[in-house]
Amino acid sequence: MTLQQRNNVSVEGDGPATLILSHGFGCDQTMWIYLYRHFTSRFRVVRYDLVGAGKSDLGAYDKEKYSLLAGYAHDLSEIIEHYAVGPVILVGHSVSAMIGALADRMMPGRVAAHVMVGPSPCYIDSDGYVGGFTREDIDSLLDTLDSNYLGWSSTMAPVIMGAPGQPALSEELANSFCRTEPEIAKQFARVTFLSDNRSDIAGLATPTLILQSTDDLIAPLAVGEYLHAVMPASTLCIIPNVGHCPHMSAPSACSEAMDQFLSPWVVGHAG
Amino acid sequence: MPADPPALPDFEALFEGAPCGLIVTTEDGTILRANDIFRTWIGLEPSELCGRQFQKLLTMGGRIFHQTHWAPLMRMQGSVAEVKLDLVHCAGHTVTMLLNGVRREYPGGVFYELALFGTTDRDRYERELLAARKQAEALLSEKTDAEMALRQAKAELKLAYEKSQRRALFAEQMVAIASHDLKNPLTAIKMATDLLSRGERSIQETQLLGHISQSSERARRMIAQLLDFALVRVGHGIGITRNPLDLHKVIGQSVNELRLAFPQANLRHESLGVGTADLDADRIQQIVGNLVANSVAYGDLDYPITITSSLEDVTATVSVHNRGCVIEEGVMARLFEPMTRASEREDNVRSVGLGLFIVREIAKAHGGEVAVSSNAIDGTTFSARLPLVERPTGPG
Repeated sequence: MTLQQRNNVSVEGDGPATLILSHGFGCDQTMWIYLYRHFTSRFRVVRYDLVGAGKSDLGAYDKEKYSLLAGYAHDLSEIIEHYAVGPVILVGHSVSAMIGALADRMMPGRVAAHVMVGPSPCYIDSDGYVGGFTREDIDSLLDTLDSNYLGWSSTMAPVIMGAPGQPALSEELANSFCRTEPEIAKQFARVTFLSDNRSDIAGLATPTLILQSTDDLIAPLAVGEYLHAVMPASTLCIIPNVGHCPHMSAPSACSEAMDQFLSPWVVGHAG
Repeated sequence: MPADPPALPDFEALFEGAPCGLIVTTEDGTILRANDIFRTWIGLEPSELCGRQFQKLLTMGGRIFHQTHWAPLMRMQGSVAEVKLDLVHCAGHTVTMLLNGVRREYPGGVFYELALFGTTDRDRYERELLAARKQAEALLSEKTDAEMALRQAKAELKLAYEKSQRRALFAEQMVAIASHDLKNPLTAIKMATDLLSRGERSIQETQLLGHISQSSERARRMIAQLLDFALVRVGHGIGITRNPLDLHKVIGQSVNELRLAFPQANLRHESLGVGTADLDADRIQQIVGNLVANSVAYGDLDYPITITSSLEDVTATVSVHNRGCVIEEGVMARLFEPMTRASEREDNVRSVGLGLFIVREIAKAHGGEVAVSSNAIDGTTFSARLPLVERPTGPG
């Protein structure tokens, strides 16, 4: 099994630097559809599915390996080794922002920058830290995933009602995206929402753009501010947006902020 | 004449009274309108509902699920179907509902249209199914664990067995080497004793030389047995050389020699049948010797010991009969195994316990078998039946 098959890697665009887009919990690489084409004229853009999500190879899902975010970070480091040309900028949504930080720690100096979309190093509140959730909240999520067990495939299936007024999302994509094996979704939820990566992220000196939504249940403003405070080379950019996916609901605000942040890696940039 | 079709209520009434909850929201989930049925299910007034975000009516788990999964789906796919959600009733309890949703673009903007169905009973059933599945999985995992433990125990047992095999082999090789090496000094002792006996000796000296001679002869027999044992266990079994012989004569000679060796016993020889037999003479004498030694050791010497050699069409049988203690059933079964004795009597008849084992091995080498019977009326009889037509021995 190749890396390409394992993580359903797709590469588009060209440029002196490589953007690697890594999706978050609950979805797959399709979620970059509103954003990635903006960059393909200036960057080599790599998208992939985390093992267990989308069209990744489910046979590669190893419960042991993926019981920690480090397992996913290891995969990402392999993708960097294999696909990146020139400086690497990791664009991670949600939990993938932390996977990116862990991969950075695994291969010091290889990652030039991070763009973190709605990141959170720890979802559960503890001694003075505000993550936004209690342990009971996360248990309630696991319960919701459990009770959708039987209906899970229905939420994935091509939908009877049709999708009027949609961006060009091919039939093929509509049939497959965000598909997740219920058991894997549950373990990934546990790994995602019970991880505490505060010590991994603290002091990470790689230039980082934090894209923080004004109203995000999963990653509240306080979490973005926390990250900005503990990461010395970080820039906090507040995007006026409701919800956890500004790259979908506010793609132009995201790409504007990213263009500015990424300018040092674009050809013809003065300085 | 057909009656006029009944007039439909207006759409407003249909919307409010539809047999499912109907809600229209903006893209960020803000409720613009909800029907009466939904308001009843959730226990809220229209004024309390409008302007609220739909996702805020969900349990926290449902809200995370909404943010990470079905909100992106609604945006990209334009619809979701059969998402199960727990909504929080104004009284605090949760109400399980099934959600279908579609995103529609109108000239006036983009709206999410949601339809909800109560699914409490179905939810309960699904949870039961889920619990049953979990239980089945737990049982399966228990079974798998047990099988793994069994496999591990088997592997450990195999290792232990191999280890004990190696130890046993080593011990048997030691026996073979030691018995072989003891043969030479013993032969030297015997030869020197014989030489000394030929000269002029005092009565005491003659007596002492007799003791040395008898003792070394006993030691020689024991070593010979150990060597045979080692041959069977370490080597390829006892080898035999067949020659045509007069069975009764060979047994008769043995009995004569054994009378000298065991003067305390009354040995009788009986012969049945006539003819020659193709057997190994030395090994046949060994059978008689071992069986008689056994009878002398365990039998009642007030009665004679009877050695019978018999020739039938295809079988030669050598048997030894004595009176005395009956051998217990349980002991009989393993009497021919090495290191087994008929009783645990603490006296000078104890030996290494190889005699009967070697008898069996010699019989086997001839393609034959051994048997024992013992009871109070008939006494005890050991016999070796040897086929006269050579046939291959069984495996092992």
